[in-house]
Amino acid sequence: MVSVINTVDTSHEDMIHDAQMDYYGTRLATCSSDRSVKIFDVRNGGQILIADLRGHEGPVWQVAWAHPMYGNILASCSYDRKVIIWREENGTWEKSHEHAGHDSSVNSVCWAPHDYGLILACGSSDGAISLLTYTGEGQWEVKKINNAHTIGCNAVSWAPAVVPGSLIDQPSGQKPNYIKRFASGGCDNLIKLWKEEEDGQWKEEQKLEAHSDWVRDVAWAPSIGLPTSTIASCSQDGRVFIWTCDDASGNTWSPKLLHKFNDVVWHVSWSITANILAVSGGDNKVHTHSPQLGGHGLLVFTPPTRELT
Amino acid sequence: MKLKEVDRTAMQAWSPAQNHPIYLATGTSAQQLDATFSTNASLEIFELDLSDPSLDMKSCATFSSSHRYHKLIWGPYKMDSKGDVSGVLIAGGENGNIILYDPSKIIAGDKEVVIAQNDKHTGPVRALDVNIFQTNLVASGANESEIYIWDLNNFATPMTPGAKTQPPEDISCIAWNRQVQHILASASPSGRATVWDLRKNEPIIKVSDHSNRMHCSGLAWHPDIATQMVLASEDDRLPVIQMWDLRFASSPLRVLENHARGILAIAWSMADPELLLSCGKDAKILCSNPNTGEVLYELPTNTQWCFDIQWCPRNPAVLSAASFDGRISVYSIMGGSTDGLRQKQVDKLSSSFGNLDPFGTGQPLPPLQIPQQTAQHSIVLPLKKPPKWIRRPVGASFSFGGKLVTFENVRMPSHQGAEQQQQQHHVFISQVVTEKEFLSRSDQLQQAVQSQGFINYCQKKIDASQTEFEKNVWSFLKVNFEDDSRGKYLELLGYRKEDLGKKHIKEEKEESEFLPSSGGTFNISISGDIDGLITQALLTGNFESAVDLCLHDNRMADAIILAIAGGQELLARTQKKYFAKSQSKITRLITAVVMKNWKEIVESCDLKNWREALAAVLTYAKPDEFAALCDLLGTRLENEGDSLLQTQACLCYICAGNVEKLVACWTKAQDGSHPLSLQDLIEKVVILRKAVQLTQAMDTSTVGVLLAAKMSQYANLLAAQGSIAAALAFLPDNTNQPNIMQLRDRLCRAQGEPVAGHESPKIPYEKQQLPKGRPGPVVGHHQMPRVQTQQYYPHGENPPPPGFIMHGNVNPNAAGQLPTSPGHMHTQVPPYPQPQPYQPAQPYPFGTGGSAMYRPQQPIAPPTSNAYPNTPYISSASSYSGQSQLYAAQHQASSPTSSPATSFPPPPSSGASFQHGGPGAPPSSSAYALPPGTTGTLPAASELPASQRTENHSVQDQAPMLEGPQNGWNDPPALNRVPKKKKMPENFMPPVPITSPIMNPLGDPQSQMLQQQPSAPIPLSSQSSFPQPHLSGGQPFHGIQQPLGQTGMPPSFSKPNIEGAPGAPIGNTFQHVQSLPTKKITKKPIPDEHLILKTTFEDLIQRCLSSATDPQTRRKLDDASKRLEFLYDKLREQTLSPTITSGLHSIARSIETRNYSEGLTMHTHIVSTSNFSETSAFMPVLKVVLTQANKLGV
Repeated sequence: MVSVINTVDTSHEDMIHDAQMDYYGTRLATCSSDRSVKIFDVRNGGQILIADLRGHEGPVWQVAWAHPMYGNILASCSYDRKVIIWREENGTWEKSHEHAGHDSSVNSVCWAPHDYGLILACGSSDGAISLLTYTGEGQWEVKKINNAHTIGCNAVSWAPAVVPGSLIDQPSGQKPNYIKRFASGGCDNLIKLWKEEEDGQWKEEQKLEAHSDWVRDVAWAPSIGLPTSTIASCSQDGRVFIWTCDDASGNTWSPKLLHKFNDVVWHVSWSITANILAVSGGDNKVHTHSPQLGGHGLLVFTPPTRELT
Repeated sequence: MKLKEVDRTAMQAWSPAQNHPIYLATGTSAQQLDATFSTNASLEIFELDLSDPSLDMKSCATFSSSHRYHKLIWGPYKMDSKGDVSGVLIAGGENGNIILYDPSKIIAGDKEVVIAQNDKHTGPVRALDVNIFQTNLVASGANESEIYIWDLNNFATPMTPGAKTQPPEDISCIAWNRQVQHILASASPSGRATVWDLRKNEPIIKVSDHSNRMHCSGLAWHPDIATQMVLASEDDRLPVIQMWDLRFASSPLRVLENHARGILAIAWSMADPELLLSCGKDAKILCSNPNTGEVLYELPTNTQWCFDIQWCPRNPAVLSAASFDGRISVYSIMGGSTDGLRQKQVDKLSSSFGNLDPFGTGQPLPPLQIPQQTAQHSIVLPLKKPPKWIRRPVGASFSFGGKLVTFENVRMPSHQGAEQQQQQHHVFISQVVTEKEFLSRSDQLQQAVQSQGFINYCQKKIDASQTEFEKNVWSFLKVNFEDDSRGKYLELLGYRKEDLGKKHIKEEKEESEFLPSSGGTFNISISGDIDGLITQALLTGNFESAVDLCLHDNRMADAIILAIAGGQELLARTQKKYFAKSQSKITRLITAVVMKNWKEIVESCDLKNWREALAAVLTYAKPDEFAALCDLLGTRLENEGDSLLQTQACLCYICAGNVEKLVACWTKAQDGSHPLSLQDLIEKVVILRKAVQLTQAMDTSTVGVLLAAKMSQYANLLAAQGSIAAALAFLPDNTNQPNIMQLRDRLCRAQGEPVAGHESPKIPYEKQQLPKGRPGPVVGHHQMPRVQTQQYYPHGENPPPPGFIMHGNVNPNAAGQLPTSPGHMHTQVPPYPQPQPYQPAQPYPFGTGGSAMYRPQQPIAPPTSNAYPNTPYISSASSYSGQSQLYAAQHQASSPTSSPATSFPPPPSSGASFQHGGPGAPPSSSAYALPPGTTGTLPAASELPASQRTENHSVQDQAPMLEGPQNGWNDPPALNRVPKKKKMPENFMPPVPITSPIMNPLGDPQSQMLQQQPSAPIPLSSQSSFPQPHLSGGQPFHGIQQPLGQTGMPPSFSKPNIEGAPGAPIGNTFQHVQSLPTKKITKKPIPDEHLILKTTFEDLIQRCLSSATDPQTRRKLDDASKRLEFLYDKLREQTLSPTITSGLHSIARSIETRNYSEGLTMHTHIVSTSNFSETSAFMPVLKVVLTQANKLGV
């Protein structure tokens, strides 16, 4: 059951390309081809424009909220080849950092689990993925994976922070030995899994092949305490796959076709509890997906826009 | 950015969009020669593998052809969606021939790859196009204005679109309309384009600017707009692309003049109508927006002309260009850097021949540009305008709280060009609910918790249970909220106490028939046989020898009976000897029961008998060890049992109230990840936690790791369904686990708590400072403030029941049952300053003032017993009443000088009662031996038949255990610490006021006690624990007796406690009813010769009552009257030693003569000479009566 509880008129002057709520679900960030990023307070069904962020010189594709432990931070990426990190200070949003290390459109940004620190992965049409790590005092360290995806990386998504061999968070205080991983999808029809080596370099760990066209989006499911890792991917080919990996080493991934649509599927998004997958295709459908039961149902979500028109 | 290249001088055709992987077919170009001057021709197929970073294309197949080609297209004819069949390759040859190839056969390496061939055309076939609506229709154009429409299903006979145009001219381009399937356009180098309507079979319009300078080299329909098309001109004098709209066909809509020389080929992107590729003799490859004329992109190419250019249908960012230098290059228009990774095998053949003029144009070709690594780092910028295919038009993203954020960019039906204004730019926030049943069950659970309607809730669950196990679990949980929980557990296990009782009564009746009449004479034999020896031993009071003799003679019953008379120590020894000898099947059980070694049962029973083991534990175990034993049994079931038994462990954990283990066990057995199965678990856990809170008063605020994980998982699920408030309610709030604290913070904020300003101080994370940091409010470590404060049951209100703890201390070894000295007890008391054992049981306050505390107890009131789950191991009405009687007796005995509290409750105004019954009534006292006062509040007790109070004596020796609590409740600190306004449990029993008048003058009773009994040895027998009364006698005795009466409760009292009077938790805690199984329910008459005692004493009390006016005195007398029942019981049982009975008769006689002082002297004599444990139950009371009678002069 999906019911609209709030309709936000963004007043964007062109296409909206992304809309993301913050950690608490109280603020909404949107970005658009009109080159702007907007932030709204949407508590209690309202909509108050908090910020209208200008700085990109091209369409802004995605926005991503950092974990609130680092403050109010929003990253945006654009066709202008730039990534901008915005930050709220004393109630005012300002550009905090600009990353111009890509040669083509930056299509996706994703913050690493907060446990790792402030790390942003950026996927670009130049085929590279860059990783920005905040090192303090306004400095960001950049690592770049070149040729991650030929003719373009469309999506990046971090694996949840799970300490190998333990399902339960270790007691605070000691720093767990996390293995950092993320997934990326690109125009080479591949999903790739990347892992940080002990020397801090990123290495391709897996290549997942099932799609026959551009991988439009990948989404690593939040950890729900099970040893299974799950990734959803969607593609230009209309297919949505659920990839699962049960073994501890993380090497054996098996795909399962969730659904084949007749049109490109643009976006996949897991619910916080990883039991629902929202699939955005031409017809904006929301799927419920139960990894445990192995099945899925189709929950047709009528796009509100059409109802209004 | 160049992706691939192939050194071929060839026409090219991409595989159709449906095809995966992507292939590029090349056919040797007619009219061109490569450096070898070879006239051989071939058809090749390459695969575009973008995962391979090298510039080489992977060749899949080569087919040597006898033809060279002017045009090559790849149609999706007969291609299914799976792409199994790879369509058809259609080639236009030099001699009017059209050849159909099967690409799948070429790839497979077949020799017969030609599907069909037809040479109906005149001259070279330069123009080919496949109808995208009917892929079996192919249009071709050649010289002499020839246009044919081929049906691939019937290839032999082509059709014509109409009469040939005149004058005859070459057809250089042909194209099907992209929107209307029966419209076709053709163009010729002469500059004219003709549009045909196949339905009318004639040309419908001719497009020409009449300049005569348009030499059409390219023709393309608008992908979206049916009436628009572009024409490209090869003429260097007019190197333009004209955009035509057939609705205004008199002149071009727009003219793109971006090339400096003639345009050789164009390609319009099907993926984005704003992208039109063109390549010209100026050696440029441009990408323009035909709708605006703007050049969006210029491919960085070599200096060569390209004569053919194609978009890849499947990968919209990829295009291929064939250049005159004999190379086909594949580019991406998305920019990117060409780095050193790209390498290509140099075509050795072409390089070996150097630069030639393959076309004989007289212009030597520029040197072959072999890619140089040093030049590879140029950065290629992407299109100025983002292509349509990367502009994401839709999105749905989840956020916290089950919210789904969606947006769409739907174009309203509108005039073209105005869509920007018509677009709606709304974002929708929706609530997604997928687990309705989960939510409704969660709601029910919450209601049950709020309304405290646990029993109803459990009953509903029982009724709705699908499986027997589920039913059991809920039945067990329900019992927690009922009175006599242990008894009901037993019933659930299949043991009904009543049944046993009935059986027993029967036996009893039968037995009684054989009872020897007490009145007869008997012969005392002192002969040399065993009988005689025993007799001798008995006559000399040598019980030990007598017992030994009996044992030796295998007269077990005699031995035991004698041992009982011989005292506790002897009895214990005798029991051990008996067990060592006895070998019956149930010996171990009996041993465990008598020795109270339940651990033995639990540890070593056959797991199949887990029910029996659990039953035994339920029946006998003391509260402090009860949980541990259930735990132990559960653990065994879990570890050693099969899968079925493992699940039964849950029942043990429920009995034990061990939430954490229940969670662990349940999780092991069930799949807890599904919302409903998690709900199953949480329901049980929540109910069990409530039960534990109500009953054991354990500190339920401690949440184990596993439980915390489950509860936060549950809260997460609730939150994910949008039930933020419910999630908050269920989230354990008294834990420091970071994940829970974080979730709480998140939930609170998600609820819409105003976020003050920019930052909130409560975030449970260490904030990091970002660049440009004026120190924001973010900085600093913020602790969750709520964690400590938001406890459902703050410690002060819900302290651990001291009684239990004390008990544990008192009886360190379960089997030993060693009474602890009062001194010992005292030391134990202070650590538990907030002893309100009943508190947890009755979370709902019924009054805050002191008066509430004095509310009379309803002795049999079910609520009390309900509230006290641990109460009776085996609760029985009879035992209960017996107990209260005993208390009454004790009360009297222990406070001879105090005014008897006959009518309880005492008025609040009474200092004494206030002190004891105050709100802060020490828990320890209640937890232990019920303060004597309680009995006063139990009027029903006295009315119960004395017969029901039998068999209490067997536990006499346990009496000392009662000392502790009584001292404890006198402990001033304890009283002080409990604020008056604390909730008082209904079943709270105010301690007897009697002692207070005496205790108060003494000051701190505790210290006094300690002084008096410095060494506080733990007496093994009751006698030894009360040395002082004997020693001091007289006056000191009087002074001390109070504390002793309290502390060293006569053994006989312990028994009543065992029976667990409702509201007398103490009793419960102590009750291991040794005698229970054999408890006699029948009541014997008082022997005639002793009846006089009863009548005399009762008469005296009546007389006192009639003249006493002071309510306090009356109360004491009432109380005494009840407590004397204990004496009567002893008389019935004939267990009193002759010296005592004769002494009592002396007292009775002195009462007859109203010589009370004589009676008191007699009384003192009895007390000092008799076994204290025998008399302590009633003698103090008797003294009270005598004293009062003396005072009143009745």
